[in-house]
Amino acid sequence: MSLLEIRDLSVEFPAGENTVKAVSHVFFNVREGETFGIIGESGSGKSVIGLALLRLLPANANISGAVLFHGQDLFSLRPSELRKIRGKCISLMPQNPAGALNPVLKNRLQIEEVFEERGIDKKEGMKKSLRLMKKLLLKDPEKLCDLYPHQLSGGMRQRLVACMSLSFEPELLIADEPTKGLDPEAKEGAVELFTKIKKEYGKTMLLITHDLDLALEVCDRIAVMYAGEIVELDKASKVLGTPLHPYTKGLVRAQPRNGLVPLSGQSPSRISLPEGCLFHERCRYSGIECFRKHPEMKNHKGGWIRCHFQSLQ
Amino acid sequence: MILTLFAVCALTFFLMNVIPGGTAELVLKHTLVGLEDSVSKEQVNQISSRYNLDDPLYIQFFRWIKEAIVTGDIGTSYVFKKPVLYLLALRLPATIQLAGVSMVIAILAGVSMGIYSALKENRISDHILRIVTLFGVSMPGFWVALLLILIFSLKLKLAPVAGYGSLENLFLPAAALSLHSVAAVMRVTRISMLETLGQEYIRFAKAKGLPLWKIVSRHALKNAMLPVITVIGFQMGSLLGGAVVIEKIFAWPGIGSLLVDSISARDLPVVQGCVLAIVTMFLFVHFLVDMLYTHLDPRIRYG
Repeated sequence: MSLLEIRDLSVEFPAGENTVKAVSHVFFNVREGETFGIIGESGSGKSVIGLALLRLLPANANISGAVLFHGQDLFSLRPSELRKIRGKCISLMPQNPAGALNPVLKNRLQIEEVFEERGIDKKEGMKKSLRLMKKLLLKDPEKLCDLYPHQLSGGMRQRLVACMSLSFEPELLIADEPTKGLDPEAKEGAVELFTKIKKEYGKTMLLITHDLDLALEVCDRIAVMYAGEIVELDKASKVLGTPLHPYTKGLVRAQPRNGLVPLSGQSPSRISLPEGCLFHERCRYSGIECFRKHPEMKNHKGGWIRCHFQSLQ
Repeated sequence: MILTLFAVCALTFFLMNVIPGGTAELVLKHTLVGLEDSVSKEQVNQISSRYNLDDPLYIQFFRWIKEAIVTGDIGTSYVFKKPVLYLLALRLPATIQLAGVSMVIAILAGVSMGIYSALKENRISDHILRIVTLFGVSMPGFWVALLLILIFSLKLKLAPVAGYGSLENLFLPAAALSLHSVAAVMRVTRISMLETLGQEYIRFAKAKGLPLWKIVSRHALKNAMLPVITVIGFQMGSLLGGAVVIEKIFAWPGIGSLLVDSISARDLPVVQGCVLAIVTMFLFVHFLVDMLYTHLDPRIRYG
């Protein structure tokens, strides 16, 4: 049974006279209890999906499609109903924990307010949060609450933000690039953190990341995004172990331990997308068909792939 | 701060002596209104020697400074024949009342309108507020004062033209004086608020499910206030400066009108005293602003 169903989601931003197509016609389901990963390079539209789900995009974004949570369309909710979903059912773990914490408010207040709108006693909530903080490898959480965000280290801030997003036990956690901007050591910590969250928590997670190691470690299924489209979707071990789409292959090969072979070229301009397959300019397998026709998603051995030549591979 | 005070005193002192016209002669003429032509050379000399006006300037200046520091006496008015401190004590409350009320109006109206405008960004009410405040910052205070008198006193007869004492006397001068500051504070609040509302922690607060008013009052306001407080500090300076003119127009018995009168009468000790008082108030406000800064932003406190 899928907890979250995304149907034909497209997001466009006006840019002067043009529009930037950030996300186009994305479909996927997130099943209850699973960890679903969205990977792709910077600017592929991953984070936009995450923010669009909670309607946190700037007002000028044009969003179309439907997002069904428990069968209820989030895009048709009134603001007050949406707030209930935001506070209670779906939580967002934002990228850049440093920016997500308000610099002039003490950590305690920022943790407490999570419970405020839900009618939960603050003290009870705080007790739970403190336990959670201990679990998430934060030492001395009581003391930490009386500090300001700038007095914490990057890793501590990330844990704190993680704790805020988890402490009201959401049904769905959207983690938006949790390892962005962290040094390798803190990144390892993040992998550990997420494995821990998954084990202790067992709730449904939507993990948006460009960190393939983290994705492989934590995710059950993965969608690969390129230029605002999903190009491949399958079990994590299959996508990252035996990638089918040329772009996923390139991503995997670009990993340091796989030889650090960079993908040549750049992703296309999102104002005027190329005809045919969006990846054909950079694709080493591309044939005549790839220039002419935009490939549709096709079922292939249980997974989905957007390529004309899946049989070749 | 002491250094600033000293520099301001020195500057006023020398500038006042650079103005054409002998001090003694003008002081004398001022006291003998109507009989200006009868002023004789002997009388001028008498005045000059009584107040040691023939000494070199730097000696006069350092004598004044010495007196001020040692005895706390900052001179005696040439015209009123009273200690300057006494005159200041007499006039200062009126100025503090006027400037204080104007400041409160500027902060309350400016900040709330700024927040409103930011929340309604690019809607009609935002545009209207911005156009109105554009006039506010552009129009000189004395002109606004005259317009207000024309409309509210002469045409509508809602408020007295001038005077001091009751609340209705305060209405027009405070409005004229604060208009510029209201507009300036509102514009800064709006911009600062918009910038703050675009921050990631605001988005995170939304994701936490907080209602808009809590996001604004708790998360945005404190952050957005930092630049606003700086502007309020500067506005306090322009309020005190503007008060000089506004007080004269509304016959408000404050330090500003005293200053203007003393300048034309060349009553040097009083001019000096008024400037000293205004600058002290200004520095005091800036000191408060600095304190407020560290109170609002923990990063400054511990940084």
